Amino acid sequence: MSDQVSIKVVDAFDLDDELRSLLKPGEMMRDAQGRRHRLPRYFYEIPDHEAAVSIRLSPHFGLNEFVLVDLKEAPRLQQFPRYVPCAVRVLAFYLEQFRREVGASVHIAVNGAYRSPSHKLSQTATPHMWATAADVYRIGTAILKGKETIEKYNGIAEDLSDDIHVLPYGHVTGLNADDHVHIDLGYITVIPREISEDRMEVPQENRPRFAFEERRRRERRNGVANEEPEK
Amino acid sequence: MKLKSKPDTEKLPVPPPTDSVAASEISLYRNVLKIKKEHDLEELGISFWDAQTTIQWSFNADQYFHAASTMKLAVLLGVFREIDRGELALNSPVHVRNRFTSIVNQEPFMLDLGRDADPDVYGHLGKTLTVKELAYWMITKSSNLATNLLVDVIGIETIQFALDELDIDGVRVLRGVEDQAAFAAGLNNEVTANGLLKMLRVIADGKAFSEEACKEMLEIMLEQQYRSGIPAGLPKAARVAHKTGNISTVHHDAGIVFLEGRKPYVLVILTQFGADKGRGTAVADVSRDIYNTLAGLTYE
Repeated sequence: MSDQVSIKVVDAFDLDDELRSLLKPGEMMRDAQGRRHRLPRYFYEIPDHEAAVSIRLSPHFGLNEFVLVDLKEAPRLQQFPRYVPCAVRVLAFYLEQFRREVGASVHIAVNGAYRSPSHKLSQTATPHMWATAADVYRIGTAILKGKETIEKYNGIAEDLSDDIHVLPYGHVTGLNADDHVHIDLGYITVIPREISEDRMEVPQENRPRFAFEERRRRERRNGVANEEPEK
Repeated sequence: MKLKSKPDTEKLPVPPPTDSVAASEISLYRNVLKIKKEHDLEELGISFWDAQTTIQWSFNADQYFHAASTMKLAVLLGVFREIDRGELALNSPVHVRNRFTSIVNQEPFMLDLGRDADPDVYGHLGKTLTVKELAYWMITKSSNLATNLLVDVIGIETIQFALDELDIDGVRVLRGVEDQAAFAAGLNNEVTANGLLKMLRVIADGKAFSEEACKEMLEIMLEQQYRSGIPAGLPKAARVAHKTGNISTVHHDAGIVFLEGRKPYVLVILTQFGADKGRGTAVADVSRDIYNTLAGLTYE
């Protein structure tokens, strides 16, 4: 991440009532097959548009690319500060590998990365709600459409890792894709190492924000070997 | 008192006496029949209302025609209904995606890029445009993609709610654009000249949801970029807030005509012709004839 811009991790249980009701941290949600998954609890807090644009999650992917939504997202979640699950960094890492393999820029569609559980497309649980899925609509200058193109890039994505799942070309919403390449990593939840998971699932009085990543960078630069105990 | 022809550039006069109106109606009727014959039109529907003289005149104005792109006026109305109710904002971002669902079988379909060459909207595939930008391109460049995106945003039923709330009949909007499955099932958007006239009148009168909404709609319609219909029959100084509609066998135009020094008039011209005929200049000719009729109404 950029050294210039501060980004902090929040426990979504510390957010206000409206945000908690929209982000539903820790709640169980069923996917289309009826399997239950627990929604993420730890989010990056993006303070403003400038931060979203300037923060890099990987050399070629900015944080803003993962939070582009339209009016289908809850209005409150379109306002800054905005929140995206911490697993988004893992997604960015894999997309960076994908970009290297295809040898061209990779463009994520609007509504194509993180979608909150309150997003109108969030009918059932999908990795988009964990920020671990991306819908790529353009690679280089090519708009993705047609069976041949989509299957070609699906193959490249699948060859990257067995962790990657793609939607086969077809026209059934949720099962197929016909105007994008869907790349997802499953339901990954990231819990920053500094977090103690026995924290109460209720708002904390001082609503802390944890700048773990900045501290980690600072410590790496300063050669600090051991973490301080949590206070 | 009698009718007197005047050059196009002159301002239209104050309301005429009744006998002059009757004479002009007969003349107009004859001219319209002549235009219909000259252009070999299968069907012609006309309706106009002049706020200055309060003259209302129509020809075959309750016959339903394929709406073509005039249905986009109803979509615009639906959009501003939602804005007026606080359900939507003009600056709300909308994902530009060429993928829609048929109202008949829920099958996905895409618009043919070649048929709707509007790079202003297609150039944003994968990105967003605001509701206002989509409304602008839907009306001014008749963008099918913008239209379907807005129909998706508000829902097709909202358009009918808007029409019902404003007591507009003669406009049936059942689906978005290029929904071939719906077309095959016989589900088409249809309009009458009187229906479109009523719609334009409520906008012109500032009674479509709010004066602010009407002002916004008029500003968009005044930016219309296709001007071969009603405007082609008017002096260059005329400003027309309008929407055209063209498919293979129909050519329509529906608009509000603003001329300096007088109140506006509202005019709807719907034409249908044979598959072997071009669209020609019938709409412009009718527009010119109506303008000349109104310009000719004067005391002597």
